[in-house]
Amino acid sequence: MKLRLRLALTAVAVTVPAVFALVQVEHSVRRRTTDEVIIESTLSQMQSGGRERCEAAPETWMVRSRSQRPPWEREGLPDGSSGPPSGSVAPDGPPERGPASGGPSPGNEGPPRSGGRGPLGRRLPPVSLYPFDGRFVSRNPQAPALDDGLRQGVRDDGVGVRRYSKDDGALVQDLLLRMPWEGGPCEYVLARRVEPAESPEVGLPPLSIWGVPTLILLSAMVVALGPVVQRLRRLTEEVRASSGSGYEQPVTVNGSDEIAELARAFQQARAEIQARMAHQQAREQTLRDFLANTTHDVMTPLTVLQGHLAAMQQRMRAGEPLESGLMLSAMSEAHYMASLVHNLGAAARLEAGAPQVQHAPVDLNALVSRVLGRHQPIARPQRIALESGVPATPTWVRGDETLLEQAVSNVVLNGIRYGREDGHVAVVLETTRQQSFNLRVIDDGPGISEEERSRILERRFRGNAARTREPQGQGLGLHIVHNVVELHGWKMTLAPSEYGGLEVAFTGPLTPPPE
Amino acid sequence: MGDRILLVEDDDPLGSQIVGHLRGAGFEPVWWREGRLLVSGELPDVSLVVLDLMLPGTYGLDMLKALRTFSEVPVLILSARNDTLDKVRALKLGADDYMTKPFWPEELVERVRARLRRPTLQKEQAVVEVGPLRIDLQGHTVQVRSRPVELTRVEFELLAALARRPQEAVTRQWLVEHVLDPEREGTERTLDVHVSRLRRKLGPVKCVETVWGVGYRLVPGEDA
Repeated sequence: MKLRLRLALTAVAVTVPAVFALVQVEHSVRRRTTDEVIIESTLSQMQSGGRERCEAAPETWMVRSRSQRPPWEREGLPDGSSGPPSGSVAPDGPPERGPASGGPSPGNEGPPRSGGRGPLGRRLPPVSLYPFDGRFVSRNPQAPALDDGLRQGVRDDGVGVRRYSKDDGALVQDLLLRMPWEGGPCEYVLARRVEPAESPEVGLPPLSIWGVPTLILLSAMVVALGPVVQRLRRLTEEVRASSGSGYEQPVTVNGSDEIAELARAFQQARAEIQARMAHQQAREQTLRDFLANTTHDVMTPLTVLQGHLAAMQQRMRAGEPLESGLMLSAMSEAHYMASLVHNLGAAARLEAGAPQVQHAPVDLNALVSRVLGRHQPIARPQRIALESGVPATPTWVRGDETLLEQAVSNVVLNGIRYGREDGHVAVVLETTRQQSFNLRVIDDGPGISEEERSRILERRFRGNAARTREPQGQGLGLHIVHNVVELHGWKMTLAPSEYGGLEVAFTGPLTPPPE
Repeated sequence: MGDRILLVEDDDPLGSQIVGHLRGAGFEPVWWREGRLLVSGELPDVSLVVLDLMLPGTYGLDMLKALRTFSEVPVLILSARNDTLDKVRALKLGADDYMTKPFWPEELVERVRARLRRPTLQKEQAVVEVGPLRIDLQGHTVQVRSRPVELTRVEFELLAALARRPQEAVTRQWLVEHVLDPEREGTERTLDVHVSRLRRKLGPVKCVETVWGVGYRLVPGEDA
């Protein structure tokens, strides 16, 4: 449903019951004040000569006023509108007695009708009075019958009230009053007022009274909504255009209202989407580059391995003994490839950032043991002694186990790959009293020059030189190590070892053991 | 025959390779080619389980979870996946160790041996015998081939520190901090002097081995 239609319907749905409620309230107030006026005027009339006349001829005494229309119903108001001057309340006090149309004669004695004004600023309604004695019996045969409600009401409160509608729609209002004297045929007086069906007191007020304000209100709402709907339409178009252009086009609706706020929210969402798209594109580009670079890295040792295997097969066919150097080299290539593939996984996770990195308690003792176990089979044939020393109890740190293991593996593998024959690689893990650990990988290989050491620590791992297999290149290895250490907030140092090779040291905080 | 080991591995070439290597190392392997959700009583009498994760039938970790409800047998996980989440989950579910593929057969055998050896190492023994060496940690006496050897306090503490973790390298720094008097002679050079004296007193048996770059280790030793 359109916004305008919905708002118009809502306004109607709210206004109509509200108007009816107001009319009901107005009716109820009008009845009550009419009652008061009738009571007051009847008492005043009975006290100023009415009692005497009634008691003189109770069989015939009654007062019947001529039905008199309020002035606005007869001739309309000067301003042309029809309806009572709402809100004006007549002054209190006994109604003023105007000239009676028929004079104070029995049967045509005017109640305070002519000139007497009701509390709502209109003339008093036509009222008939009938006398009753203490047993609620009237000597006047024209008097209407009293029901129990009226009798009960007058006994309890001094006034009995009954209202009912006649068949022709006229509203009858009966008030039974106790007079301020005891005994006699006029102890009670019934005041009856009959409001004709067409009177504004009965039923709904005319459409002209409530229809016009409602119509004005609706028109005002629809007109006021115009600019709002227009702004919303413009915003919708702009958002559509923006999404159609891949969020390149900005949303320009401005101002200080809620629609402008919505536009600003769209603008923020657009910026967020753009940032994510840019990040995604950058990652995809990185992964493409990475894949291209690393495919080369894996293919090279695979080619070498194929060459070695082909050479071995030739030797076997020729019945020659297998050369252990060739076998060793093939094993080394296979090992290197495994390490590269692990590094690819590590690099991909490092590139993906924090969500991919899982931090959990890691036992460095077990980690060192696994790393050494993995490299022992390749170190032993090269006659490189692989040693380790760890504390007697588990050394717990918090980190990503796979990445940490890969980092230590890379350093150890470098030590083996570039170590000399009959050389050594040792992993020493120690803890300090300051709740930190110190893990050192030392070797007695050729080492790295100072210039190269600082370059390794500065370089990001995707440099071309980083992918060469030469000792100064270190493969992906040390760069991944560097990134992993950074990610964990550890410290890493490269220094010449006291045995002439390289010493790579990691330091970081310990963590309490898991339960 | 040595310990029985249950291998759960669906890949035929890899499985037969592992079986061959375990048998070559003196173990008695039992090979299952698919995972099963075991209940109590269905596990054969084995000392260790080598469990692949990607299995037909039942996922390895589910099998481990079911196994742990009734058995404490050591489990070594084999996985091609090098994902930390898998590892952490496996260890939480009660795995004792894991290996990522590819691995060298020698490494697997070493890991199996280490796992089977672990429980005996955890016991603190009053008397440690390593080769011809007998060290009474409570009585503070040392014998080489039943011949008592007189040691100074530092020398005994040094030997006892190594004897508590036989076959394992103990770092020089640890020994300096825990054996030497830190105020008087707490340097690695002093430690080396004590070690050389200790070796002399233990005679021709080469029990205290220097571990390159690390420190010292107590080994069964050989006669010079």
